[in-house]
Amino acid sequence: MAKILEGPGMGLLRKWGLQTPNYVVVDSSEEFDQLASANDWLKNNKLVVKAHEALGSRFKLGLVKVGLDLAGAKSAVKEMLGKQLESVTIREVIVSEAIDHKEEYYASVKSTREGVDVMVTTFGGVEVEANWEKVKKLAVEIGDSPTDAQLVALSKDAGFTGATATKMAEFLKKLYVCFDNEDAQYLEINPVVQNASGDLVALDAVTLLDGDAKFRHKDWTFPFAAEFGRAYTANEEEVMAVDAKVKGSVKLIEIPGGNIAMLPAGGGASVYYSDAVVARGGQLANYAEYSGDPPDWAVEVLTEKVCSLPNIKHIIVGGAIANFTDVKKTFGGIINAFRKAKGEGKLNGVKIWVRRGGPNELQGLAAMRALQDEGFDIHVFDRTTPLTDIVDMAMAAK
Amino acid sequence: MSILATKDTHVVIQGGVAGVNAARRMAEFRYMNKQPLNVSAFVYPPDAGKTNEIVCGTELVAIPIYKTVADATANHPEINTSLVYIGANRAYEGTMDALNDANIQTVSMITEGVPEKDAKLLGKHARKLGKTFNGPSSIGVVSAGECRLGVIGGAFDNLVACKLYRPGSFGVITKSGGLSNEIIWICSQFADGITTAIGIGGDAFPGTDYVSYLEMFENDPQTHAVVVVGEMGGDLEESAAEWYGAKKRRIKLLAVVSGFCQESLPKGMKFGHAGAKEGLKGEGSARAKSEALKKAGAIVPETFGALGPAIKATHEELLKTGVVKAIPDLAPADVPRLPKTVAEAKKDGEVLVAPLIRSTISDDRGEEPLYQGYPASELINAGYDIPHVIGLLWDNRLVSKQEAEIIKRILMLSADHGPCVSGAMATVLAACAGIGLSQSVAAGLIMIGPRFGGAVTDAGRWFKYAIDNQLTVDDFLAYMKKNVGPVPGIGHRVKSLKNPDKRVKELVGHVKSLGIKTPHLDFALEVEKITAVKKDNLILNVDGTMAAVLVDIGFPVDSLNGFFILARTIGMIGHWTDQKRQGSRLIRLFDYLVNYASPKRREVPKLK
Repeated sequence: MAKILEGPGMGLLRKWGLQTPNYVVVDSSEEFDQLASANDWLKNNKLVVKAHEALGSRFKLGLVKVGLDLAGAKSAVKEMLGKQLESVTIREVIVSEAIDHKEEYYASVKSTREGVDVMVTTFGGVEVEANWEKVKKLAVEIGDSPTDAQLVALSKDAGFTGATATKMAEFLKKLYVCFDNEDAQYLEINPVVQNASGDLVALDAVTLLDGDAKFRHKDWTFPFAAEFGRAYTANEEEVMAVDAKVKGSVKLIEIPGGNIAMLPAGGGASVYYSDAVVARGGQLANYAEYSGDPPDWAVEVLTEKVCSLPNIKHIIVGGAIANFTDVKKTFGGIINAFRKAKGEGKLNGVKIWVRRGGPNELQGLAAMRALQDEGFDIHVFDRTTPLTDIVDMAMAAK
Repeated sequence: MSILATKDTHVVIQGGVAGVNAARRMAEFRYMNKQPLNVSAFVYPPDAGKTNEIVCGTELVAIPIYKTVADATANHPEINTSLVYIGANRAYEGTMDALNDANIQTVSMITEGVPEKDAKLLGKHARKLGKTFNGPSSIGVVSAGECRLGVIGGAFDNLVACKLYRPGSFGVITKSGGLSNEIIWICSQFADGITTAIGIGGDAFPGTDYVSYLEMFENDPQTHAVVVVGEMGGDLEESAAEWYGAKKRRIKLLAVVSGFCQESLPKGMKFGHAGAKEGLKGEGSARAKSEALKKAGAIVPETFGALGPAIKATHEELLKTGVVKAIPDLAPADVPRLPKTVAEAKKDGEVLVAPLIRSTISDDRGEEPLYQGYPASELINAGYDIPHVIGLLWDNRLVSKQEAEIIKRILMLSADHGPCVSGAMATVLAACAGIGLSQSVAAGLIMIGPRFGGAVTDAGRWFKYAIDNQLTVDDFLAYMKKNVGPVPGIGHRVKSLKNPDKRVKELVGHVKSLGIKTPHLDFALEVEKITAVKKDNLILNVDGTMAAVLVDIGFPVDSLNGFFILARTIGMIGHWTDQKRQGSRLIRLFDYLVNYASPKRREVPKLK
């Protein structure tokens, strides 16, 4: 799943005929000043200014300003751009037109195993969480499309009446078409509001697209944003760039504050290793994973990043018995990075725990074991040691 | 017995290199079981009409490649299963072709990164047709002793270690490829091994679900317990729990679910497989799934590490109740082994191979070439030069400084003789015809023979004959006249006593100044004194001089033409690059350079 920010999200909705407020995304106040002189709607409406970054709780952080006139918007833009919050710098802001409205509705389309669920309720905005049981749902099988009659019935069922019911059915139709054509996995419009002329407008959107479908969407020129309420770190972005280049995969997510560094193989096993750390009361310093027989240099880059995590006490080089990932080759990459990190003094007091099986496991494990002679505090186990026992040993050793 | 992949499975592999690798792995598995390869065909349009060579034990089997699935099944009607190794952007169409083929019942897709919508459409289509679509992102399916689809099970040694040459009692279903192998290993060590292990893929919406396979396992009399390795996200584990709890089942169900770490991670932070995502409202957590499975009566160990002992306990109970019998281990001699390559067997000291050729000059098996055992770089660092390398490779010895100097001068004097001589002319002609360097130089080299440059060896041979047999000049000339003909190394087309060859003078002068013994050169000069009197141009030529000198310093007669070939190659390369640099055009002889002596135009007689 790939989250995209509000600006490109709104762009996709408009592409498929849904109404959104006017908006601009800018990365400098000069650009905004120029846009303001070119666009009347910026002069004639109340405006909303938001940080255009993958950040959760923007309201709490003071990164959403509402009810502004142009002058207020200009100073809000100036104030927000370049602001530093922990690891994130605000690089873009989105300025949109405020729409006066009374009611706030909710509409979404979500991917399910069988197809999609189209969901709608009159209890939109902040009310939706508390009224989740009032959300009405229409399941559409994959390959089918919802009929107008079904959508009208759904809207009425959700409590929409008269012309609004018809309008909501049309709105949902367009939302579904957008979802289907854009390879979306989740589209949520909250709130949907009615403007002065009675049209339904998408005021805010959550847009999750299927990153795997990028190859057939030439107009997806926007970047994908992190899904976990913060922007990607430089290290994460670097590993993602490597991942995009190579056969197989390398993945990294940093978790500030932890002291157990993870360097396991396999999308499945890596989560069991993380579970084992948490189950023993350990604090994860990161999530990482390599699989699909990636080149040694890619694993080396990943290992460098893992070794650079601050205040780590252990590195867990775990893995199941590989089917086709070459243990000797991938361990070669890890060993290179370990040597480099040790030379830079990064592994002082760090214990390394290894467990692995698979093609060329004997040579790979022997190479790891040989690091003991180079002064590494490394503990190497083969397939006869159960998968996550190295985590137990690491936690007992501290 | 087993499910999904059986002894009756016949496979078409859709895809290129990765598919060929899978076929090799599958062939290893079949070899272990003493069964013939069950891959009947490949579908890969760019190579349609060719074959892929698959190693099966000690043989190479050619498997045909077709353009379409329909072509493959038409030619190989036994095919009932397709393995999809096509790239994510084209996997949908290829898989649809396979599903729509009447002969194919099962399609397993290894391709990762397939758009979710495509996978869902394929899953729906398969369900509609009553077929199985396994994957995407599936490591494959393996049934012990019967069939392997894809690379699941890993390397040959692992197949044997996991006792996959004979069925056990445990079924396995996992989303993760690596963990499928881990569970197969655990089942073989803590219990009697597996019947069938299935990777269903880690995507959000795999084409099949646990329940379909649990039903199959329930109906497979060989399978008595099933291990499910689940993940947070989706609802496959919940459905499995529901199925298991719905009524009394014959099979025992063991399950673990990953993703408990989510509970103590920053909100919204997810990782693992694409499908490993909690629902937006928190449904599908590892805890919820584990609870549901426990409630349904499944054995759910607290951690992955506790799975081994739980499998062991289950197996012991099956043994105790007499449902399964202990399977004796194979005698070490009966454990299957993959044939070694000759290189591996040599390394292990197990075979003696009669060599095809013998080399006494060089060896480059190490990190750098050895000439007569001397590392090339060390020769360079010790100040040795090209003539020494010639000495080592042509005469198996390190020549002296003096000898090296003579060789160097011979090469310098013979490197080129202008564009008009046979060799250079052939090279130039070829270069102008647009022919490449090596062929053009070869054209020039072909000219070296008895009349051009190729007299060195013969001259050396006869001067040596004279010295070895202590012939006088007169005896020698008489012998040559009677038995051989003109003396090789004597005579020149243009040079004569009055117009001597400067190169000969130079070389003779240098060699004589060294004060070394030169019996052959001395003899050759004596011969010249007699022959030049007879005819002005019967002088000792450069071939004869080189030959005499080289025999004097000990080079074998058979190597002597090599000095001219080597030296002149320098010139020919020069002529080729010269023409190339100038962009020379095709040339041909002018008519006026030909004496047309053939009959004039005349009538063609009737064919008889």
